[in-house]
Amino acid sequence: MIEVDQLTKRYGNFTAVSKISFKAEEGEILGFLGPNGAGKTTTMRMLTGYMPPSEGRASVAGHDVFKESFEVRSSVGYLPETVPLYPDMTVRGYVRYIAELRGVSKAKDRADDVLRTVAMYDRRETLIRSCSKGMRQRVGLAQALVHDPQVLILDEPTIGLDPHQTLEVRDLVRALGHSHTLLFSTHILSEAEQVCDRVIIIDKGQIIAVDSPARLRERLQSGGRLFLRVGAKADSAQVVKALMKVAAVSTVEPFADGYILTASAGADVRARLAAAVIAAGWDLLELRPQAMSLEDIFLELTAKSEARHG
Amino acid sequence: MGKIGTIFRRELAAYFTSPIAYLVACAVLLLCGVFFNGDLAARNNRATTDGSVILSAFATFTLFFAPLITMRLVAEENKEGTIELLMTLPVSDSAIIVGKFLGAWAYYTAILALTLVYQVIMVLVSSPDLGVSIGAFIGVWLYGGAALAVGIFFSALTENQIVAGFLSLTALITLWLADNAGALVSNRVIATTVRVFSFQTHYLYSFSVGLMRLDDIVFFLGVIALMLFATVRYVESRRWR
Repeated sequence: MIEVDQLTKRYGNFTAVSKISFKAEEGEILGFLGPNGAGKTTTMRMLTGYMPPSEGRASVAGHDVFKESFEVRSSVGYLPETVPLYPDMTVRGYVRYIAELRGVSKAKDRADDVLRTVAMYDRRETLIRSCSKGMRQRVGLAQALVHDPQVLILDEPTIGLDPHQTLEVRDLVRALGHSHTLLFSTHILSEAEQVCDRVIIIDKGQIIAVDSPARLRERLQSGGRLFLRVGAKADSAQVVKALMKVAAVSTVEPFADGYILTASAGADVRARLAAAVIAAGWDLLELRPQAMSLEDIFLELTAKSEARHG
Repeated sequence: MGKIGTIFRRELAAYFTSPIAYLVACAVLLLCGVFFNGDLAARNNRATTDGSVILSAFATFTLFFAPLITMRLVAEENKEGTIELLMTLPVSDSAIIVGKFLGAWAYYTAILALTLVYQVIMVLVSSPDLGVSIGAFIGVWLYGGAALAVGIFFSALTENQIVAGFLSLTALITLWLADNAGALVSNRVIATTVRVFSFQTHYLYSFSVGLMRLDDIVFFLGVIALMLFATVRYVESRRWR
């Protein structure tokens, strides 16, 4: 459905997207995960025909995004990061307007249908000006769905929403996937995990990992980082010294009010650590795997890719 | 064609759902009323009424309010990011621009039509030459179209409505007064060339005296076509950058 081959976008000397390639199968929910400025929006803009690639090619629904822009635009539903709304229109008037511009037959009925899908039918006569952020996001989604596109491209659809609205939009996205091929971007790892079949991690315009969310998490946790906290009476230098003696522990660093430890691959050192702390006569207050934040993951993955490209 | 109609209806509706459109229409009519009254009083039964006077005044006001009508057309879409949606819809860039232009022209036509009331008053109090009125109406209408086409071009250049409005105001005043500039140049070829590009030349000496010349009609339609073409090209260039 979506095929991207060596796609590159340069603005002057700055390369926003550098030779990325990936594929999305029909009915797949593909997550695009990366920090702000990673090139997610630029890639999506190229796929929707808003801006041309500098190099490489991409096709959506079997049409080249550059040469057959019109066909691509007809088969894609797109929700840009800033939801494109006209504040002076009503919810229903706006969705009808887009439906008519997309040449949808029976635009009125179809507009009402999608408004029901996104649960905005009851608010159809509300002026967009007076809609909340969450409502606007749903109206934006309705607009992207109105022509029942083969491919849906959503740019950070949950950004700026409160937790409740975020859940609603996530559920909606999940429900929409499988009947559409869906490419959606986010900078929240857990969101990508919950929603996507496959995740592409992108940073500084390059793909640094493509995998299923579960496998990705596994890979990232194989580093085996642990967080450990002991009672106040222990001296920090002594604790480090004692913990380093435990078999298979490779590093110990003081962190916040405790210590971060890494163990050599595959080794589970938790029981031995607990024993060591107790044996030294300290109180063991906390011992848990240290979840990696998105920043850590990027640091780790980008460090790896830099090392590989050396 | 259907898409042009959709855009046209949306743009026209946008004028009438915002209070600004009514305020602009109201202000223009107030100015026209003051002008009309002054003209009637000055004639004071000594000279017969002239239907083109109020329309020539309207043409001058157009210099100032045409930019107000056009400045938001594309600039607002650029600023709000809705241009990204428009350009990723299966709608050609020319349909978008032409639809928007026609919407603005229809709104302009509506305001122009309101000045018919002065013609009615004139017919009631005296016996003006209606040929002059009809000629002047058609002339102002075509000239208004050209002014709006210039405005939409500047609206596409920027995302700042004020800048768009000011640039088109400057362009319109320059184009309107070009014949005065031509009068100062001693080189005859340059002077006539400058004069040919003046909006005033193509209105004041023909339409406003009830004269309809094909070259004036072609001139205004040509300006509309040229400016719309330039606008479409500029918007399109986004796809290449």
